[in-house]
Amino acid sequence: MSRPLLEPVGAGQTRFRMQGLSTDARGIAVGREVLITFPTIDWLVAFLGAYSDEASLDDLLPTMTLEHARRREGGHALLLRCAAGDGYAVDRLGRLAGSTRGQLYTGSGSVFLRWRQRDAPFGYDLVSPLAPEGEEVLVVDLDYAASYATVDRMDPVELIQRLQLRRVPLPLAGVSADPEGCGLKDLALALVAPGIASRVLRHLWRLETVFAGYYVQIEGDAQASLLLRIRQPRGRVLDVLYGTPGIELLAPVSSRAAVQVGFRHPIQLSSASGCLPGEEMFLFRGDVGRVERLPGPPRFIDGRHLVEATGAAMPRELGQLREAELEPLQVELQVRPALSPREPRGTLIAWEQVGLLRHLVYLMPPSALAASRVIPLDEGVVVITGSSIGARSRAAAAGLGAAAIVPLGRRLGEVAPGVLVPDGYELWPRVRPALTRQLLGLGPDDHALFLHPRVDPIRVTAEQLLPLDAALIGRLQLSETTVVEPELPALRAGEIENRKLGRFALWGFGRAPKAADERGSGQ
Amino acid sequence: MARSLSEFLEHFVLPLLGGGPLSVGAPLRMRERELLLEQAGELLRPELQFLRMRRAQLLVADPSLPAPDPDELSLWIGLHNTLVFDHPERHRVWSRSTVWRRVEGATRSLLTLPSPTSRGETLARHVSVGALVELTRADMVVSTPAGELRAIGQELPRRALRLLGPSDAVRHETVRWAEQPHAPETQRLLEDALRASPLTCVLRPLLAPPGWSPLSAADAFSDRALVRAICHTWARHRDWVAVGGAVAGALLPSLPDPSRPERAGPPQGEGPLALPGAVLPTDPQVLAGVVGALVHLHFLKVVELDARLGVAAVSRDPGVTAFLALPLLLPRLQDTMGAPLGGLEELDQHRTGHERLHAPLARRWIEYLDHLQELMPQGAVDKLLASLVPRIVQTP
Repeated sequence: MSRPLLEPVGAGQTRFRMQGLSTDARGIAVGREVLITFPTIDWLVAFLGAYSDEASLDDLLPTMTLEHARRREGGHALLLRCAAGDGYAVDRLGRLAGSTRGQLYTGSGSVFLRWRQRDAPFGYDLVSPLAPEGEEVLVVDLDYAASYATVDRMDPVELIQRLQLRRVPLPLAGVSADPEGCGLKDLALALVAPGIASRVLRHLWRLETVFAGYYVQIEGDAQASLLLRIRQPRGRVLDVLYGTPGIELLAPVSSRAAVQVGFRHPIQLSSASGCLPGEEMFLFRGDVGRVERLPGPPRFIDGRHLVEATGAAMPRELGQLREAELEPLQVELQVRPALSPREPRGTLIAWEQVGLLRHLVYLMPPSALAASRVIPLDEGVVVITGSSIGARSRAAAAGLGAAAIVPLGRRLGEVAPGVLVPDGYELWPRVRPALTRQLLGLGPDDHALFLHPRVDPIRVTAEQLLPLDAALIGRLQLSETTVVEPELPALRAGEIENRKLGRFALWGFGRAPKAADERGSGQ
Repeated sequence: MARSLSEFLEHFVLPLLGGGPLSVGAPLRMRERELLLEQAGELLRPELQFLRMRRAQLLVADPSLPAPDPDELSLWIGLHNTLVFDHPERHRVWSRSTVWRRVEGATRSLLTLPSPTSRGETLARHVSVGALVELTRADMVVSTPAGELRAIGQELPRRALRLLGPSDAVRHETVRWAEQPHAPETQRLLEDALRASPLTCVLRPLLAPPGWSPLSAADAFSDRALVRAICHTWARHRDWVAVGGAVAGALLPSLPDPSRPERAGPPQGEGPLALPGAVLPTDPQVLAGVVGALVHLHFLKVVELDARLGVAAVSRDPGVTAFLALPLLLPRLQDTMGAPLGGLEELDQHRTGHERLHAPLARRWIEYLDHLQELMPQGAVDKLLASLVPRIVQTP
């Protein structure tokens, strides 16, 4: 059995055989640096992506180095080295590294030990001092030690910028179906090929889109491409831009980076501003597999300066209106049979049927009663429920009054607010509802009733509309209460009345023989 | 002079109990009491019993008064004679001062009654004496350049009115009789009348005679309804701290001091006293009742949100100091006599949120106790712990 190379650190232990170890606030042995070994670069990228989702890569990047190393015993590995914080930060690194096939070690310089496990909650220390050979890095585990020799070094920032974008599925109904999910809800960027720039600008201008843009010179292109910024783009605009060849729609992921729609960067760029140095803007293009570094910060120009006006026609001012000549156009407003059914908003009940209405009232819901008005006429009683009646309740607003419920009389439909015609008829020609009221000369609260197709309409003013419930119910007589006075007055204090004494002799208070008198006077 | 008992009842007793003008005339003699008692059936008149019951019901719902007895008649006669000494026309009576002294002695003997032995009797005494201290008097006053002319409980004589000028104003004043200056005899007899009714002394402790003790109304403090009425009567006073202080000040001297030797018996050879000295009950339950009522007065004021204001300035009166220190004794006393919040906190433990009705009340009470703790000198509390607490909490 091999001899263990590491031993667990005890609680409260402060002296270690390995140099560079120290305890944090919880008593865990932490080195100055941590080393994570990954088998392939894919797992390294997965680790960076997972870390950027959870925390900010800017904490790691200043001290991070990436090395491609060869193991002396055979095989390769990718080594990530960075400064170790306290135990909590290293624990997080360990958790993420474990999920991405990485091994976490802590130490300093060229010797690194396994990070703490369940068996050794305070970490490990060397059983005996070990030293690597030459420039190698020695990684010590419980029962083996491995030496890594660096083959190549990578710049983490450059690696992140060169990563290939990954495709993500888009909504089947198009980008406009879920602009928020595509990251385009507030702002969208579009890189337009030089050949179609002017036509795209004209199209956006016609759609009254709020946009700004400027021309950028992309490396390798002969002419400058147009970069557009569209604030709160409409779905129609997004669909047009996404589906047009030559236009790449980009979603901003941070203030200086945008990724093409339909792709995702493996790293969460919003938490890795250190990866994007300088003031340049980065456009990650997935289709062509390139990263465009635009020189300097973007300087967008408002869209109205980008389009050119080519119209030459000037409108002519209209002179005198020829009102008199309109007379041949004027026609009669008449009632004619109609085929389309209408929702009943009123009913004319003959006086003979009023008794039936009286019985039906008990079945009506209170909202329908409250939303109905009644007009007593010679022809009968008109019960109406119109949108023109003060729609205080939901039932009134929906026209669900008594008139729509009562199965009596002749139904009336509403052709304009407050204008009712018999069911099966309509006003011809079909003019605007507001104009109908104007033509009939109705006031704001007036109603016009066409009770019969061949009879002239009648005007009903607001004062003539009686609430149905009030008209139906007879006045209730309340019996007056009689207040009963309490029979007994409250107790009062007595009032002293000194009676006239006159002159009299006070006698009878002599030495009384009563024993009680004597006792009393002795007190 | 009342010619019959019904006349005496009509003109004095019924107005005394039920309100209205009660006429005060010549003093009644002891012999006349015997004559009136010959018509003792009149004492059972329904209207008299009804008025007694109504007046007692101002305190408790079921007074259960005993029927009027000769002692009560003596009390009424004594009260009438007490008022006679304040009569403005007393100087017109043909008599010498010695005779008036005899009248006073006879009245005192009428007012000297044995201590009430039951709750009903205690209430019956208070019905009469309490009505006496609430009496009013309508005076007719004329202000003239020469001075003020006042007819006490009478109309001004016509000849005086005839002499008035146009600028002299006549006004009628209604005053409370008990608050007016009295003749010395009336003052002394009023104290005797109050001694006859311990419950009146408890309810009006600021009027109580010197040497009075709330322990003399032991029956009242052992009845729950009556104690509630007492507490609420105290709480109605504007100066409730002075009222509580008067009760506490009267209670403490009447406690027998265990460190003091027993009071020696009456000196021999000087003849027997007229009456044996009253023996106050020192039953722990009675004491607990008095102290509990005083603590409850604090609690009522806390409920009214009035307490903080009322006890801001501490009086130097030892009674007031003792009264204010009483709630601080609760940790030692509550096992024996309970506490104002007793049971309420347990009720609240099973409730949540706004259903915990008593939580704000309990908080105010605890704040009030903390306030008292800061206010009261520790010496006053220690004194009560030594003198009062051992009498209530008696360890076998």
